[in-house]
Amino acid sequence: MSIIPQLIVNSIIAGAIYTLVALGFNLIYSTTKFFNLAHGAMAVVGGYVVFSLTRQLDFSLWLSIPVAILVAGVIGVLSDLLLFRKLRERKASSMILLVASLGLFTAIQAMIAILFTSQFQTLTTGASISTVYDVFGGAITQTQVVILATGLLIMAGIGLMLKYTKLGKAIQAVGDDEEVAKIVGIDTNKVIAIVFFIGSAIAGVAGLLVGFDTGLEPTMGLALLLKGIVAAIVGGVGSLYGGVLGAFLLGFVENFGIWHLSGEWKDAIAFVLLILFLIFRPQGIVKK
Amino acid sequence: MSNGTKTLLAIIVILILVWIGYAIVKSSPGEAPTTATSTEALKIGVILPLTGDAATYGEPGRNLFALALDEVNAAGGVNGQMLEFIYEDGKCNGPVAASAAQKLVAIDKVQIIIGGFCSSESLASIPVAESAKVAMFSPGSSSPDLTGRSMYFFRNYPSDASQGKILAEAAFNDKKWKTVAMLQEQTDFALGIRKVFETRFVELGGKIITEEFPSTASDFRSQLSKLRAAKPDALFLSLQTFAPTEKILKQLSDQKWAPNLLLSDVATSEELRTSRASQLEGALTAEFNTDPSNPKFSQMTSAYKAKYGVDVPYQGYAQTEYDAVYMVRDGLLAVGNSGEKFAAWGRTIKDWPGASGVITIGPDGDRAAGHVVKVIKAGKLENYSAVSATATSSPVVQ
Repeated sequence: MSIIPQLIVNSIIAGAIYTLVALGFNLIYSTTKFFNLAHGAMAVVGGYVVFSLTRQLDFSLWLSIPVAILVAGVIGVLSDLLLFRKLRERKASSMILLVASLGLFTAIQAMIAILFTSQFQTLTTGASISTVYDVFGGAITQTQVVILATGLLIMAGIGLMLKYTKLGKAIQAVGDDEEVAKIVGIDTNKVIAIVFFIGSAIAGVAGLLVGFDTGLEPTMGLALLLKGIVAAIVGGVGSLYGGVLGAFLLGFVENFGIWHLSGEWKDAIAFVLLILFLIFRPQGIVKK
Repeated sequence: MSNGTKTLLAIIVILILVWIGYAIVKSSPGEAPTTATSTEALKIGVILPLTGDAATYGEPGRNLFALALDEVNAAGGVNGQMLEFIYEDGKCNGPVAASAAQKLVAIDKVQIIIGGFCSSESLASIPVAESAKVAMFSPGSSSPDLTGRSMYFFRNYPSDASQGKILAEAAFNDKKWKTVAMLQEQTDFALGIRKVFETRFVELGGKIITEEFPSTASDFRSQLSKLRAAKPDALFLSLQTFAPTEKILKQLSDQKWAPNLLLSDVATSEELRTSRASQLEGALTAEFNTDPSNPKFSQMTSAYKAKYGVDVPYQGYAQTEYDAVYMVRDGLLAVGNSGEKFAAWGRTIKDWPGASGVITIGPDGDRAAGHVVKVIKAGKLENYSAVSATATSSPVVQ
């Protein structure tokens, strides 16, 4: 049996997960122009809301998932209203915003660890065997297919929204120049709040899907976020489609990189890719 | 500086001086030091993982220490002096445990530390204890690297040398597995088991393919694909904690790969065995044996249940943790509260009857006894008799 089909499938699965993180991250970055590290915490929130509702309170899955997405989105908006907006009003630099978001990330992660303990949790029950499909000799589970489909759907959804809706145009206008957008009559604070809601909700989707695929830990946010950011930078920071390309490139390079190297080099390979891009093509694959 | 601030500063300085003076006066009355020590509790340090992934072991560990401590103190402590445990979180992490040891040695001035629990905790704290001439006594660290490591360290938990060795012999001699794929977490404990297994298995004529991963990893798919492509007879998971075990087992079933499994003792919690019973059916593992017919063991389990309302988890570790407290008491009775003497006394322990069986500690600080091979059947651990009978003699079949 050749190993290649499974490696391709593994790369696609990894790419799909990174896509979900990179999409929301890029959306928030392109409008607010700062690295929102708290984005990783929103993913953890999404996962743990589903865990708490289904495993602790016996809610149905179909109710828990939308609630989790909503909660992640609302916490994202609150982070903007209570923290980032106040800093923006004081003309804080993007470095200060980054540090503030790191603080928020750590605080949320610690709160989740206190509420749910730092133990590893699974959303699926151990006994249930997930449906597995065979793709040219590589195995992929139902959850992973859902992750891939969700990533592509969200990408298409955001793409259409940015291009064809009034809100999408307003978001782009704020991203191009916040001051000018204000002058032409756009309520920039409102637009940014909406962007935080959408971006954080997507992070929530990412977190709960990872919860179904792998499992939940309060500390999983950082690893997810780092890979998402690498994907975003490699693809072109702030670019919607670039982020998706970057995510899949990263997935393929990581998984094929360890074909002949030992597996513990995976993270090193990811960051070598990042460094190569920063040196030779800092604008990323797709220049915004 | 304004006048207001100056006055405030002056008041603060005066308050501090008064407080220091009061503290000196209070402590100076010339009471005889002997009476002072006998009323004050005797402090013993404890290092174990209270947070992080390994907290699964640390939480019940602390309960057991507290249980045994209550029993010892209720029976009169050490010559009427009560014992007190100071618990420090080692997070199953070397540097964290070393600073915990530093705190126990420098601030609490303990002479004896029970711990660390994880091998990484012990390996990193030993130099700290050694330089302060403080004894370290571990009831859970099993890395072969700890054998004869320091004159200040000994343990009543057996080294993994026996675990890796008997599993290698069972796999090669009995199961006739010639190629084993090894997936190893990058911790001292998991590396220790891998090294012993690998050495013995290769010595017998087998072949090993290895992949390692950092404890934070969560995507094992491509590593599993690689190992599978090598067509091994079995897969050995040398892991430290529950989280990667659960992740790897899930990703194995996601890839529809059901290899013969070999697991180190930590990967066999009851929770995991019941939730993944069909996947683990027939898996070989080693366990430091527990003996429910031992009255001390059954007394420990019933006292634990009475105090905490649940059954003792991880009984292989529970029994040595429980014994450790009583051994510390006996050591204190024999040689007094001195790290140097206690560590030397530890090496003279012979046929000490405990919950974990009869304990004898060798001159290298290791417990003379070991693991037995177990097989998982319908979610339960059963003795793997075909091998445990021949494991001790271990003739090379070739």
